[in-house]
Amino acid sequence: MSGVRPTKGYLMEMKRRIGFIEKGCEFLKLKRDHLAKELSASIDILKGRRGLLLKNLKEAYDALTAAYISLGPIEVESQARSVQSALQLEILPLSVMGVRYPYVKIVSKPKITSELDITLSNASKKIYEILEELIQLAEFEARAERIADELGKTNRKVNALENTVIPSYNQIIKFIESKLDEESLEELVRMKRIGGERASRRE
Amino acid sequence: MNLGLDYVVIRSHALISNLLTIQQINDLADSKNVEEFLEQLSKTPYGRIEINDAGTVAITLEKVFYEKFVERVLKIIDLTPQKIGDFLKSYYYLRFETLNLKRIIRGKFSGQKPDEIFYTLIPINPYLIPNYEKLVNSVDIDEILEHLKDTTYSDVNKQKKLFNQYNAIWPIELALNHIYAKTIFRNVQNLPERDRRIIYKIVEYETDIENFLFAVKQSQEEKIDLNLEEVFPATYNLSIEKLREVIESENLKKVIESLDEHYSKVLSLIYSGDVALIRTGLRHYKCKIVSNALAVNEFGFNAIMAYLIYSEIEKDNLVGIGWGKAQGISSEDLMKYMVECKKYS
Repeated sequence: MSGVRPTKGYLMEMKRRIGFIEKGCEFLKLKRDHLAKELSASIDILKGRRGLLLKNLKEAYDALTAAYISLGPIEVESQARSVQSALQLEILPLSVMGVRYPYVKIVSKPKITSELDITLSNASKKIYEILEELIQLAEFEARAERIADELGKTNRKVNALENTVIPSYNQIIKFIESKLDEESLEELVRMKRIGGERASRRE
Repeated sequence: MNLGLDYVVIRSHALISNLLTIQQINDLADSKNVEEFLEQLSKTPYGRIEINDAGTVAITLEKVFYEKFVERVLKIIDLTPQKIGDFLKSYYYLRFETLNLKRIIRGKFSGQKPDEIFYTLIPINPYLIPNYEKLVNSVDIDEILEHLKDTTYSDVNKQKKLFNQYNAIWPIELALNHIYAKTIFRNVQNLPERDRRIIYKIVEYETDIENFLFAVKQSQEEKIDLNLEEVFPATYNLSIEKLREVIESENLKKVIESLDEHYSKVLSLIYSGDVALIRTGLRHYKCKIVSNALAVNEFGFNAIMAYLIYSEIEKDNLVGIGWGKAQGISSEDLMKYMVECKKYS
């Protein structure tokens, strides 16, 4: 217990600190529970959406494969460039329990013009249909990932407080209290001895 | 170096036997990745291909396969008697030049830089235009059309109205298709009567199928009042009326079933939902035309055309496999788009 001053003032300071830490720990537990709830809700949504999207994504990718093999990569790139209005996104920050995650706002969608070959046009239509869903899914995945990350951190903090910090403070308090008890007992013995000595001198 | 038709025909037969066999194509498609594909390819007449930038492997491969094909075409043109040589040059060079013009126009339309546009061009010397630089460095499409005024492609200027009306380049692209078909038909007149048939069959079929695909696409899009005579300046066995039916009909199957068998067989592939299979069917048909012509007469123009068509199909197959391997696509998914010419089996 090096650095510990077994004084009443220090004991009071330690008790004040542990009260604060315990309150913080309670808040962190609340945060952990809330994040866990958010994460499990996000995962449920992700599971459902992912399953649906994977099927549509496979169809879109097959259509794109057909276009690439039918036209060749250079022709596909040349035709794709003739689509003048591109996809424009704005990424804004949102926060849940202090966890920041990106919110993707679609500013403008690409306009599939009649410039494209039918194979490429079919592929682009299929991708266009799932574009919004794909962006939302990416947003959800980023949100779930960051919440999970924060949940892990919060959990570690709660564990550290519950298993290391709070017990060590309790130990210190116990140590100071026993030291103070010991000191007050010694003081009492000393006082009694002095009292006894005085009484014998008077006699 | 004109060595006479007989020599070119014999040479074509020899060159046909040098093309990749179906087993080699299968082995290439079965490669696990690009590295294995390149390794397999190094065992063929294509030799080892060095890829410097892994990010553009499919494009690099496509360029190599195009270069090889152009080289083969030039070799044949160099050997054939002048009339056939001139025709073959117009047939292939015009096709590639038309494609290059489309890419230049698209690039300009989308604001690509000149060097980016040059990168997309097929490596051929200018054929009916003085040079590509002027076109690529033009400020806008109007200037490109202006440069094309004194060339065979001057008719594209007639589509300027539609281009401005829809702010779209498809009218210009369709006009280029028409110029290509028209010029081929004009040049084919220089060939003997018996040799013309094979070209007519190929070009007519190609044009009809592309018209059909464009009509299907129009049927899926927002209805706009189109003058079909302007949109389809060249039609052969699929008339404007049939194409109108395709655009307006709710039942595509009924329209397809009303067509000749060699059209309906290929076009019915659209029911699978994979339009690209129609192009595979078109290549199959071209292959069949030259194989049948070769069966009738092995010693004539047919042999030269057969070599060039087989060679082109080989190029298309390799471009597809190269891209597929770069993307990690399985051989089963790739092989349905590959064309196995009868000569392979």
